[in-house]
Amino acid sequence: MPKKKIRMKVNLPSKHPAKKMKQISQRDRKTRESLIGLADRVVQAAKQRKDPHIDVPSRTLSNVRYSPRKRIIEMGNNTNRRQLFNLSQAKAYMQTMLVASGCKKLVDDGKTTSIRGLFYMLKHTIEGTKEETFSTQDECDPIIEDTEVLLGNLREELHLYAQKRGDMVGPIVLNDSGDQIDCARMGSGGYGIPSIVEPEVVKFVRCDAKFVLHVEKAAVWQRFNEDKFWKKHKCLLTHGNGQPPRGVRRLLHRLHHELELPIYCLLDNDPWGYYIYSVIKQGSINLAYESQRMAIPEARYLGLRSIDLERCGLSESVKITLNENDRKRAKQIVRYPWFEKKRSWQREIKKMLENDFKLEVEALISKDISYVTEEYVPARLRNRDWLD
Amino acid sequence: MATVKHKKKKKKRASEKVRIPRNGQPAKEQPAGGEPAVHRSEETPSSNGQDGQSQPTQRRRATAQSMAASQRDISVSEFFAKNRHLLGFDNPRKALLTTVKEAVDNSLDACEEAGILPEIWVHIAQTGKNSYHVGVQDNGPGILKKQIPLIFGKLLYGSKFHRLRQSRGQQGIGISAAGMYGVQTTGKPVKVLSKISSRKPIHYYEIIIDTQKNKPRILNGAGDGIDIPIGETGIQYIKKHGIDWEDQKHGTRVTIELEARFIRGRGSVDEYLEQTAIANPHVMLHYTDPDHTERTYKRSTQLLPPEPKEIKPHPYGVELGRLATMLHETGATTIAQFLTASFSRVSSAVVRRLCHAAKISARMHPKRTSRREAEVLYHAIQNTKIPNPATDCICPIGEELILKGLHQVVPGEFYAAATRPPSVYRGNPFQIEVGLAYGGSAPTQNITPDLLAELLEETDTRTIRQFLINTFNGLGADAADRIIKASRLGTRQSPGKLKGADREKLYETMKNVNVAEGQSMEVLRYANRVPLQFQHAACAITQTIMNTNWRSYGLTQTRGALPKGPVTVMVHVASVWVPFTSESKEAIAGYPEIQKELRLALQSVGRKLGMYLRRRLRVKHQGERRNMFLRYVGEVAKAVSEVNGTDRLDLYDQLMKVAKRRTAEADLRLDDRGQPIDDEELKLGDHVLIVNPSENGTAIQHRPLESIDSKKGS
Repeated sequence: MPKKKIRMKVNLPSKHPAKKMKQISQRDRKTRESLIGLADRVVQAAKQRKDPHIDVPSRTLSNVRYSPRKRIIEMGNNTNRRQLFNLSQAKAYMQTMLVASGCKKLVDDGKTTSIRGLFYMLKHTIEGTKEETFSTQDECDPIIEDTEVLLGNLREELHLYAQKRGDMVGPIVLNDSGDQIDCARMGSGGYGIPSIVEPEVVKFVRCDAKFVLHVEKAAVWQRFNEDKFWKKHKCLLTHGNGQPPRGVRRLLHRLHHELELPIYCLLDNDPWGYYIYSVIKQGSINLAYESQRMAIPEARYLGLRSIDLERCGLSESVKITLNENDRKRAKQIVRYPWFEKKRSWQREIKKMLENDFKLEVEALISKDISYVTEEYVPARLRNRDWLD
Repeated sequence: MATVKHKKKKKKRASEKVRIPRNGQPAKEQPAGGEPAVHRSEETPSSNGQDGQSQPTQRRRATAQSMAASQRDISVSEFFAKNRHLLGFDNPRKALLTTVKEAVDNSLDACEEAGILPEIWVHIAQTGKNSYHVGVQDNGPGILKKQIPLIFGKLLYGSKFHRLRQSRGQQGIGISAAGMYGVQTTGKPVKVLSKISSRKPIHYYEIIIDTQKNKPRILNGAGDGIDIPIGETGIQYIKKHGIDWEDQKHGTRVTIELEARFIRGRGSVDEYLEQTAIANPHVMLHYTDPDHTERTYKRSTQLLPPEPKEIKPHPYGVELGRLATMLHETGATTIAQFLTASFSRVSSAVVRRLCHAAKISARMHPKRTSRREAEVLYHAIQNTKIPNPATDCICPIGEELILKGLHQVVPGEFYAAATRPPSVYRGNPFQIEVGLAYGGSAPTQNITPDLLAELLEETDTRTIRQFLINTFNGLGADAADRIIKASRLGTRQSPGKLKGADREKLYETMKNVNVAEGQSMEVLRYANRVPLQFQHAACAITQTIMNTNWRSYGLTQTRGALPKGPVTVMVHVASVWVPFTSESKEAIAGYPEIQKELRLALQSVGRKLGMYLRRRLRVKHQGERRNMFLRYVGEVAKAVSEVNGTDRLDLYDQLMKVAKRRTAEADLRLDDRGQPIDDEELKLGDHVLIVNPSENGTAIQHRPLESIDSKKGS
């Protein structure tokens, strides 16, 4: 008898989410409907003795197009059919269904997890075999992205987030999940930009900044923060640790559109830096379906420029010779439709290829530790010397 | 092996070249004392000036006269006694094999020529630390008394050199060289017994070859040999003298005692006899090894191979020097007569064309032809179209018997054989045959603990790695390394010193490690039914196999290497004159015509293997697909039921029904060309044998052949 009682007590908390379900938001209800719709289609196909299949919008270069009017990358209408009864697609189909069931559970429980967390949630050995449902996270991540485009739900709507990466500092006060955060008082570490920065989570309370300076790497960001650049120039300072994650891009987008702050980017002078700028400005090919709420066509490229070795009188030793990969990438980038019509960009990339070397932002440190914060960036801003 | 040998040869040649100007030349050409000085100064140019000052008159080392005193004939036997490696007596291990091989080959040739189904006894016994006694007896026609000493005691004496006929022996060096080697290393004479009829006595000779004179010296019976009478007295006599003799109506036994080393595994007598059994299914072989183990390789056919015909040489194959000699030695009185009588395929029309091209009269006397005319005739022959020689003089083993032989000895699941039509190189007809065996369990997996212990004890290899590679056929270095790694034994551990627990470990891993991946193809080479065991890299057969693209037949292969996989290929080159690269008959020279035929034959069996493997793969794929769907359907049903709450089992059943229908359709459709295929029928053509792999025996070197029954599968 006592045993039963205990069990009942244990069971109680797990019933809570069920109660919560009734209070879930409008957005979660929409997500649930699309997930259930996906499952219903499988049942229907099975009843009609048909191959169950899903049509996943394809996330390839061939299925994105640049809209010159909106100045962003948009997704086309091509889809890839994924069938259960096809040798090469069976596993991916099964994995998509698993991801859907995992998301359903997250939405029902009102919890969020990282994509790595979901990977562990779904990873198990298939019954009767030695095969794993997912062997690595690399196998799981693209399936999650597929599910996003398939359902037309954003990642945060599926209660998932990527590992956070990137920091912000500057004269802005935020409300993050109910906590008031003054980004001007964040010490040397800065405010870690969360993966989900939707208005429900992050609200802007007060902002004194006049623009946003986005730098490529944490090291450079540290330099600017230590020199209190943001205080002097009244700006927000962000970085995305290389290719900025969605959280950072979405935050930049909101800062630009809601607070009307211009965005300036300080990136390395190499194909990788150009591509980061391209992603911030037009959106990425892989996540073209999110361009609408991520891309900032007005973002500007402050530096580094191919002419900077001579212009700033840097020493020869900071040059890094381009490798074969860099050259190939640069030639691809120069042909992107959003760069093709811009003569200044064509000149810039051609110049880099002629130089046959790349420059990192850190190269400016060879001149003086604070050269970048005290002279380089102020001069570019003063002279309105940037690429668009 | 091959490379080492080449180096030796080169070195030798180089040193001879240096010596010739000093020793050889002056005898004839040197006009005065000045010449040698010039020679010497050429050799040591730096010391020239100094020498001239300190020693104005150089001492002459030898005069033409003194040198002439030491210049004399070199007998063939002396030459080969010094260069015994040319004949396959490089080391004691190989000497033993070569001796057995020469004796057995001679016996088989004799039996077949006489039309007797061969039965052969091979007896090897250890007599000292490094000496062995080899006795080989056959049931052949026997040898006439006066011929015995010459055949066994004189190099380059025989019946096979001067004719063109498919036979194992060619030159007439082999057995007498073996005898010479025995005499040189142990001092014991060659003992020969021969009986030509049940009513005649047995001739018994003890022979020593006189290397200086290349002549036999007979030791017993006051230089005349002994006749052992038939009947009880003879048997007593034989016993008394410690000679072995299997009583037969007729036959010959040769016994040689020689310095040797007995090994097992690759390049061993065991291997030779086993391979001989594959290619000669009509032979009955009794073999007693030094451990007194007796093995009998039973014949699988009672049919003697058809007698090969002797043919006259084809004009294309003759060289200028040989043509000139023939012209002078012939008994014919006109060129026309000479050409038609000495060569095959020369008709009077061909003679007319030849003489016209050479601008000589057909009625000219052959002995009166000048050197220049001979040369013109030679070129005319080369440029005139002459029909190819008759090829019916060649007796292939035949696909049927190749399959039988391979299946008896090599474990596998798939066998194919191909015999090419005869072809011609340099006027010599030849024919290529290829057999292929695929699959079966690896030799290492069929071992028993007792057998392993035995093999470990008798091996002479120094490391376990060597032991594995040498003992187990076709086990590559890769697989050996994997076994050692998995067993966690030291690589350099000596196999003989392995303790019980380690032995068990080795046994376990040998059973468990999959050696098939990385195992390279095993190649069995034959020339006129004689297995070739050495110098495989220098042989046209191996080279052609390496240059054939096996990837398209479903095997893995790195460019220019033997393909990988559990495959055994046997290649037989039959010809009236097999072009060996050396007198030891270890490798076949790569004439383009031979290589082409080899390639075609290999491709023919390769195609069949490819078809078989592709079908096997297809069957595997189908199974995999079905399994995959079964696995995933369960997961999908579970995921879907979690999302929308449908009954999991219901959905699973429904999906399974769809799956079954789908796979059935897919099975039907699966063909390379998109046509419905019939799985039951695999059109492989003739000469293919497919057996259930689980029914097969082992392929360990040690294994006696008789233990395997002939199992012919589906």
